[in-house]
Amino acid sequence: MWSEKYRPKKPDQLVGNEESRLMLSLWLSSWKPGTKAALLVGPPGTGKTTFVNVLARANGMNLVDLNASDVRTKDKLQRRMGEAMSTISLFGERSLIFLDEVDGLAGRADIGAVEFIKESVRESQNPIVMAANDPDSDEIKKLSSSCVTLRFRPPPPREVEMYLREVARGEGLAVGEEELRACVLDAAGDVRQAINLLQSTQNATPEGGNDARGHYKDRDRTVSEALNGFFGAADKHEALTALKALSLSPFEKVREVHRSVLKSGLPAPEMAKALEVVSSADLLIGRMMKAGEWRLLRYLDRLLVDGLYPVVRGKAVKYTGQDDLPFPILVRVWNDSKKIREVSVKYAARAHTSGMSARSQDLPYVFALCSKKKFREDLERALGLDADRDLLESYDKFLQKEAAR
Amino acid sequence: MPEKKRIVVGGWFDLPRLGTDVFGTLVRKQGVAYDKSTGFKFDSGTDLQAAVRTLLSAGVEVELILRCWICGKESCPGCPYLSSCDRTSVSTFCLCADHAPEKSVFEAYTKTFDVNLKG
Repeated sequence: MWSEKYRPKKPDQLVGNEESRLMLSLWLSSWKPGTKAALLVGPPGTGKTTFVNVLARANGMNLVDLNASDVRTKDKLQRRMGEAMSTISLFGERSLIFLDEVDGLAGRADIGAVEFIKESVRESQNPIVMAANDPDSDEIKKLSSSCVTLRFRPPPPREVEMYLREVARGEGLAVGEEELRACVLDAAGDVRQAINLLQSTQNATPEGGNDARGHYKDRDRTVSEALNGFFGAADKHEALTALKALSLSPFEKVREVHRSVLKSGLPAPEMAKALEVVSSADLLIGRMMKAGEWRLLRYLDRLLVDGLYPVVRGKAVKYTGQDDLPFPILVRVWNDSKKIREVSVKYAARAHTSGMSARSQDLPYVFALCSKKKFREDLERALGLDADRDLLESYDKFLQKEAAR
Repeated sequence: MPEKKRIVVGGWFDLPRLGTDVFGTLVRKQGVAYDKSTGFKFDSGTDLQAAVRTLLSAGVEVELILRCWICGKESCPGCPYLSSCDRTSVSTFCLCADHAPEKSVFEAYTKTFDVNLKG
């Protein structure tokens, strides 16, 4: 994804909020214990978290990243922040403590949390930066006396356009003025969204064109309606609408798309392309879950539409449900599984390993060796597999078929 | 209809006497900078939406102008995004018509940040 490829790596590479970025950089370079904390206030997608990450890296500091919505009570905050506040490395290197979404500290469960943060700011041996979306929340008002408040706003359209030109230059593209402006206006100040839109317009087929942008309704379709709507959509806009209507968790969504692609019988090169996109979507979810970067979720559908839809378009790919293998094949799968389990027990006993390891690690190689005549008889005898000739033969056929492909 | 007051964000400007309530709201609550000798200033710490609303309710209609981050010139005149850009909600610097179309504008943009950082 271009938005990841062109993610800022240095503090000067972000777009917009120039004064606030300068002030935060100066605040950090002159920070000493007892200095007020910094509080970044602004709507989502304005670069608060990105800038703190980049700034910590640029200053060689370890970033201790906490989300206040997850650590809402004083006790939990104390446990997570306590050590980070008082620890400096042997070489005097400090950590940057980043407390995101402090406006999420609300309600009875948070009694004492705001006071704890204020106290921490006074005593911390490491700089503390906080971020909030809502400047008018009670928590922000209570914290503001202990903080230097810096506002983050969406960058003006001309600066977003400048960054898109830079991305286009990096990709060696000649993008028309109108196309560029449409991306800038549709993104409404969200640079990452603008980059994604630019990428979508560049990946779009001429008929799909700029229709990839739009608004999404009708979220209540069933899984099959939504997925078949996605695979059979007339253009990207329709594909995106169908995918947005799919009421599954991100993981389930990718799993069902994966299942449908696997069963589609696409030719090998297209299957490879399609699976590559599914793999990227899976990586995106993995990163999102691991790092708690839930904001990445908004790019999942766009990734599938921009990457997968052009590949499957017009190829009669269908969502066919979960248990849709023909009965004879299902019987064959059950029988083979049963035999493989029996063989793996025999093999495991002789090879001094577990049945699970035998099935997952050793047997594929044993079967492959058995396909060579010169090894076959000895191996079968040694491992006691000679009674399972039909299984080996069916595996033999499978290997031959794979080799032919 | 009274003419709109042009206010360059980051530049000093004067206002007619608006009363202590309006003055207090602007300076204490909405982050408008005030200096007795130079006047008022909107900057990145100002709640621009609220301040513009306050001035409007006091009878002063405002047109905000952003400055170019690279050269400091007014950037709004002739901007193709003028009609769709809400200058009370975007960040306080932009790019002028001279710099925006340049091929190496991003390089100049980042360089300006580094120069300002070094003071």
